[in-house]
Parts: sequence; C-alpha cells; structure tokens
Amino acid sequence: MATTAATGAIGELAERARAIVGPVWVLSDPAQLSTYECDGLTNQRERPGLVVLPASTDEVAAVVRACHELGVPFVARGAGSGLSGGAMPRAEGVVIGLARMRAILDIDVADRRVTVQPGVTNLAITEAVAPHGLYYAPDPSSQQVCTIGGNIAENAGGAHCLKYGFTVNHVLAATVVLGDGAVTRLGSDAPDAPGLDLLGVLIGSEGTCGIVTEAVVGVLPRPQHVETLVAFFDTVEEGGETVSEIISDGIVPAAVEMMDRLAIEAARAVTHMDWDAESALIVELDGPESEVRSQFEAVTRICAARNAREVRVAASPAERAAIWTARKSAFAAAGRLAPAYRVQDGVIPRTRLPEVLRGIADLSERYGLRVANVFHAGDGNLHPLVLYDSAVPEQVEQSEELAMAIVALCVEHGGSITGEHGVGTEKACSMPKMFDGADLTAFDRVRAAFDPAGLCNPDKLLPTPRLCGEVPGFHRVHPVERAGLGARL
Amino acid sequence: MGVVEDLAADLGPDRVRPGGPEDAIGGLVPAAVAEPLSPEAIALVLRRAGADGLAVRVRGGGTKQAWTAPPSRLDVVLSTTALDRLVDHAPGDMTCVAEAGMPLAALAAAISDVTTHRQRLMLDPPGGAAATLGGVLACAASGPRRTRYGTPRDLVLGARYVTGDGLAAKTGGRVVKNVAGYDVAKLLIGSHGSLAVITEVALKLHPLPDAARTAVLRTTDPAAAAAFCDAVRDAPVTPALVEVAWPEGVVMVRVESTADGADAQIAHLRGLADIEVPDETAADALAADLAARAWAGADAVLAVGVRPSRLADLLRLAAAHDAVLVVRAGVCAGELALPDADPERAGRVAAAVRALGGNVQVRRGDGLHAALTVDPDPALAGIEDALRRGLDPHGVLAGAAR
Ligand SMILES: Cc1cc2nc3c(=O)[nH]c(=O)nc-3n(C[C@H](O)[C@H](O)[C@H](O)COP(=O)(O)OP(=O)(O)OC[C@H]3O[C@@H](n4cnc5c(N)ncnc54)[C@H](O)[C@@H]3O)c2cc1C
Repeated sequence: MATTAATGAIGELAERARAIVGPVWVLSDPAQLSTYECDGLTNQRERPGLVVLPASTDEVAAVVRACHELGVPFVARGAGSGLSGGAMPRAEGVVIGLARMRAILDIDVADRRVTVQPGVTNLAITEAVAPHGLYYAPDPSSQQVCTIGGNIAENAGGAHCLKYGFTVNHVLAATVVLGDGAVTRLGSDAPDAPGLDLLGVLIGSEGTCGIVTEAVVGVLPRPQHVETLVAFFDTVEEGGETVSEIISDGIVPAAVEMMDRLAIEAARAVTHMDWDAESALIVELDGPESEVRSQFEAVTRICAARNAREVRVAASPAERAAIWTARKSAFAAAGRLAPAYRVQDGVIPRTRLPEVLRGIADLSERYGLRVANVFHAGDGNLHPLVLYDSAVPEQVEQSEELAMAIVALCVEHGGSITGEHGVGTEKACSMPKMFDGADLTAFDRVRAAFDPAGLCNPDKLLPTPRLCGEVPGFHRVHPVERAGLGARL
Repeated sequence: MGVVEDLAADLGPDRVRPGGPEDAIGGLVPAAVAEPLSPEAIALVLRRAGADGLAVRVRGGGTKQAWTAPPSRLDVVLSTTALDRLVDHAPGDMTCVAEAGMPLAALAAAISDVTTHRQRLMLDPPGGAAATLGGVLACAASGPRRTRYGTPRDLVLGARYVTGDGLAAKTGGRVVKNVAGYDVAKLLIGSHGSLAVITEVALKLHPLPDAARTAVLRTTDPAAAAAFCDAVRDAPVTPALVEVAWPEGVVMVRVESTADGADAQIAHLRGLADIEVPDETAADALAADLAARAWAGADAVLAVGVRPSRLADLLRLAAAHDAVLVVRAGVCAGELALPDADPERAGRVAAAVRALGGNVQVRRGDGLHAALTVDPDPALAGIEDALRRGLDPHGVLAGAAR
C-alpha cells in the first residue's frame, strides 16, 4: 500500500517538477533512471522513482518544497563519484542532480575566494584561479570529476590535507536549501560570525542536512617551492616506520603517501614506470624554499636510516607529475589485478601503521583474498583494496567480511571507520563499532534539527532498522518529537 | 529541600556549596555551585535541573562569562574544574586527549616538555592561566597564532559531552582524519555552553618550530599598513602571526621555521618595507604587550572580523571612534576596545563594522549583548532553536545561556 501511495506521489511530483525546471530536465524513463541507481559504490543499487535536474537555487528550492509537501524522499547528486553509497536513491524517491549548476560565479583575488555553484568540479576551481597563482587546496584523487557539492557533503580530503586540512577548513559559506525547501545561508563572508557553527556540521553531513546550491571557498597562493621524493623499501613495515619518524621529527610534509607491492603492480600495469619494491613512500614538502630544502634533507636522511633501498628525488615538474600519476592511477588500476575490488577507508593513529599493515596481511592470508594498499600514510588513512572475483559467490561474501574485519581492526587500534569516503549506506551498520547508543541518539537529534521530516537523504550515515535492524541503546527521534510537538522525558 | 541539599544528595556534600557573590554572573548569584567529579555526575546535575526546572550555567576558569549574554535566570553554576586530567598524550601521533576543566596552561606544560617531545597546542587565546580547555572551546576563543594554525574548530579531533538532558555522548575520535558521524564538536565550539557540557577533548598538536624571528613595521598610515600586510600575504613567507595594533601603528610579523628558513623569510620581509628586527626577547615582550592591549583597562571589548581587503577601512574606523584595535591581519579578525561601555557608542562602532560587511561579537561590556546582538534569519534561527530543543530539551542550559 505504501508503494502505491509513493508511486502516486512520484507521479504528482513529476508533474510539478516539469513545471518548475522544464520537461526536458525531468527524467522518468527507466533506462535514463538507471544511470542514477548508484554512485562509485557499484555493488549497492536502487533505481530512483524520478530524476530532476534543476538549474538554480530557486528551482532546487521549489523541487524540494514539492517533495516536502508530497512526503517524497530526495537525494542530491553531484558527479556520483562517492564511494560509500551516499548518492544512492530510494526506489520511491527523487534524485536531484546538480550537474547543470556548474557556473563559477565570482573570483575574488583580493580576498582569495571563489563563489561557485555546487556542480563545479574540484579541479575547475583550481584551474579558474591558476592564472592568479592561486589554487584550491583539498585535492581528492577524483578531483577531475567530483563536485564541490559532493566534496562539502563528504568533507572530502586528499593527499595534501595532511598539511592543509580538509574541505571543512576551506569553505567559508554556503547557500543551502533545507529539507522543507527554505533557503538559507550558512557561514559568513567575514570571520567570527556570531551563532552556532552550522556550516561546520553541514560539511561532512553526507547530504542529510540540506542541498548546497552555492558555496564560497577560500583559495591559497601556490607555495614558493616544492620537493618530492619516492623511497623504496624491502618491507612494508620500514615504510610505515619512516612515516612515524618524519612526523615525530617535527616535519609537516605537504603529503605522505604509501603503496604496497600489489598497488605498485597495479600502477605499473597502466603507466610507464619501473617501480619495484615491497613498499613505496611518496613524500612531498612545500613552502618557503630554504625551509623546504633543509627539511627535505632531513627526510632523505630518515629514509636512508630506515633502510630505503633507493630514494628518487623528482628533478623536474614532469618527474613530480609522473610520481603523482603513479600514485593516483593505482586506485583505478586495481581493476587490472582482479575482476572486482572493495575499497575501505579506515583511519588509524599513524604510529600504528606497521602493526595494522601486518594485521591486514594476516587477515588477507586468513581469508585467502589479496589486499592491495595505497593510502594517505601521513594521516593514517588506509585504503585497503580487497580483490575478489564477483563471479565466485563465496568470494563476494568473504571479501565483504574481510573488508569489515579491516574496519574493525582500525577501530580496535583507536581509529575510525572512515577518513574521507563517508559512512553512506556502506558503513551505516558499522557505526555502532565506533559509537554507542547515546552517541548515535545525539547524532540523530542533530539530524532531526536540520531535517525534521526525515526526507533529506534517508538511510545514510546512521544505522536504520531497515538497513541494520535495531541498534541497542540507540533512540531515534520520533516523528512527533521531530515536529517539536513533544519531548522524551 | 533546597538546591544545595538536593545536589548534595546526588553528588556528595563536598561537591556542592551555596553560591556566593564571587559566583555571580551578570549580577545573579546562583543558589548552588556544583563541582562534579565525572561526566556521570555532570549528567546527574543536569537531570536534576531538568526535573526541578533549574537553570544551569557551565563555568570553567570563569574568564569568559562576559562573552555571552548574562543569564535571565541562574540556579546552579556547574564548574568543570574537577575534570582536569590529561587523559592521553600520543607524541608520535601529535595528538592528545584532555578533560575539559584542564587549564590550557597546565595542558601546555604537560605536553610540551622540550626535552622529550617538541610539540604544542597551537592555541593562544586571551584569558590567562585560569582559562580551561572546555571554556576556550565553548567560546571558540583563539589568539594571534590562528593566522597560521586556525581556531579551535581546526584543532579539535573529537569530544565527549553531556547533553542538557544528561546523555553522555561522544563525537569524532582521536585520529587526525575522520568523517564518521556528524561533527557535533563543531556545534559545541562557540555554543557558549548552551547545548551541552563538554567533558573531554581530543586535540591535534603541532611541532615546536626550531626558530622564530620577528619583523616590526611602524606606520600610522592605514593604507601603508594594509599594503604591507598584503605584501606579506603574497610573499613566500608563512608567518605564525601578523598582528596590527592601532592607532599606535605597529605591525608585527613573526615567522617560525627552521633556523635558515626563518632568516630567509625575514630577509624577504626586509625587501618589502623598512622593518625593524628586534631580538626574540624584545619580540616576546612586544607580543605579550599586543596580546594584552585590547583587554587592559577597557570597559568594552568587541570581537570584530572583516574581509582581508577591508583592513585599511577597519583601521580607519578604529581611529575614527577612538578605539584601540588589535587585529590578526591575515584573517582580519581581532579585538576592538572602547574606553566605556556606552551602548550607543558601541552600537555606532558595530554598525560601522557591519557596514563593511563585517561581524561583531561582544567580549566585554555591561549591557552590550542586548544592545548589539542581531537576530539571525528565520531559517537559521529555526535550526538553532531545533538544535537547542534537541540537545537540551528541558532548556536547562539555554535559560542560563541567554
Ligand atoms: C577514483 C576515486 C578516487 C577518490 N579519491 C578520493 C580522495 O582522495 N578523497 C576523498 O575525499 N574522496 C575520494 N573519492 C570519493 C569521492 O570522489 C568524494 O566523496 C567526492 O566528494 C564525491 O563528490 P561527487 O560530486 O561525486 O558526489 P556524489 O557521489 O554525487 O555525492 C556524494 C554525497 O554528496 C551528496 N551531495 C552531492 N552534491 C550535493 C549538494 N550540492 N548538496 C548536498 N549534498 C550533496 C550526495 O547526496 C551524496 O550523499 C574518490 C572516488 C573515486 C571514484
């Protein structure tokens, strides 16, 4: 019965949406809808009831208002490169795609900020300000495709967030369409705005607090000097120990990235490189020239002291680019190693790298599945790629179990289930590994404050009975409470 | 029974005492001061307050109670000072975890033992030695070093807190990168204790630099000072702080780096303007003088922030209103002090700052909160109210926070 009602609502919504955005920007043909059934987490799919492609804040607001009136759940979508199922729709819900909203509205060189629509890609911001010697610091590996709206929703990071921070450290203000269609602005053009830091909560809220329709982001001057090296080690542990030693030597590199043998093999399959080692450590320093030079010497010394077999220093921008191509391609190239793979995103204290990497190797052996590691070593953010054959049913199941065991290992070592990909649907049921009932209850109250009707990207971030069954101690905010009509005593 | 007796029954008699004049906030003397020993005990106080309709105000070192509006009602001052332990310090990870009542100065001493590990929490807010971690975060307080290292929101990795209805919860974690769950810490930072009581905080630390060097430019021309600050921003220097004091006309730039890195940056600054380079003892004294300047002897202090391109305008504004201004040039936020707390005069200053597109908050000044606070737009106010209702459903903290 609920389904029939929902179908009716979708029909009504489609009609209203056509009037708001124009008929060509409303997709209801099943073949077209299929394009929107998943994000980068391709093993979880649901075909949406409708896709709407608005072109302005007003259009987004009008569509959301209609959803709110009709009780239809909705989810925003940027480039769909998310890796946790964040943009996965509901069958009876609507995808609000921001792909048409990709104008750069203002470049303010004096105040070093750029105003963009949500569908602008991460890289496009840097390209737009490059003529002024500026760049946008957060640099997810997916930066050519992923959008600033998606980056804000996931609080995206990248290789260089070790020194420069995440999306949340670079967004100054955002225009947001709330769950009932109201439009507001969070953050401020100037520092130290009074009131609660609602922007800080919105960033990383995985599309559950509203739809960002405009953002003001800060941009930075290009550093005066950059040095990059790649060091090869005979063991993964030596690479990990080198990371700890660089950090505790008081050096804050711009980036410290690591690849293990399998990841190196993957990268070799798609690029012209001759790397061959148990682990490769990429270290980049940037800043004022003399500081970079003396710290780079120290890093080179530490690598040697930790038995690096070879240290290659990039002698030109082209050589630096080649190192980064190897790193950034490893991920997508994992497809060359096995028919399918799952990527995890756990974080550990960086001093625990050697033991956790050993633990992952043990788990890999126990499950009989290979795991490639290519990750942000400097901040302890692992990206184990669990390789499997999707045609073998046991492997599908076992790979999932292995991936979850790795997540649990990270939490046991004082870490987190996700460093940058988000919880989404993928890890919603893992949230109780990190957070108890009281923690989750408080999270749900925050969510309810932003979206009392619960229509804004439901079934993401927090465990729901629908996804995970009941979670002990976790009290969801009741709809009556959400509406402010009563409170639990 | 009275409030003191009720709370004593919950917490034990030695954890509760009647409030005295020294506990007054905004002229209101609380019936009781409670100093719980644990988050569980804090939850007891809040639940009791919820059941009995008491208004509770949280107090750390008591140095920044004036940063938020005086309470309309006040029954209990909840002091966090008994929660003062360093819970964990992981030098290799450059992180630490401390209880909210720990004075910042004690934390600094505990973690930056130079002989063992060279690191520190890069937070230098006003308030002196008594200021506690929890209070500093609740007020989103920062100081000169925010120019390079940011404010509490950039340094906090996670927190434990007790909601107004006594739910002991946590958010974030101890690792330097983490996106699991809502970042409730962002809400608590700057909430002035109006949503929940912060009980424990995980923090990101930074290495102590090898060397510091300081450059000082003296000019009373706002355009020249702003031009110098712009040039510093565009130069290959990464200053830890850039402080401008007005109307004196002092611009202080401090670089922290490797020894030769610091020298090279100072050499670069010499090429930009006719600067003095004091020795570091003199520079320390000047830094301390600038840090105290806006606070010493002023009856009204406003936090002001404008876009960096408005620096010269802000300097002129300060001079025009006979105000003392100390501003972090890179971010363009600082403190503006007025000799008296006349609401009309402060109102004129606030209006002028807002006319520049800037923000104003009251840091000191009897009666100024009511005079200067502007209402947020209704949609924003709706979310803020919903958050207060959600995290403090009985209004235990909210009543005393406004
Ligand atoms: C090869 C590859 C490499 C990657 N590397 C990194 C990396 O280094 N670091 C990293 O952090 N991530 C990385 N990712 C993950 C992904 O690119 C990021 O999460 C990115 O921020 C998602 O942006 P998107 O535009 O694709 O968002 P989508 O996938 O479309 O959506 C992601 C979430 O954002 C929400 N959303 C989208 N737009 C808006 C909006 N305007 N307002 C509100 N909510 C919105 C969606 O509802 C969804 O919940 C990688 C992904 C791939 C495929």
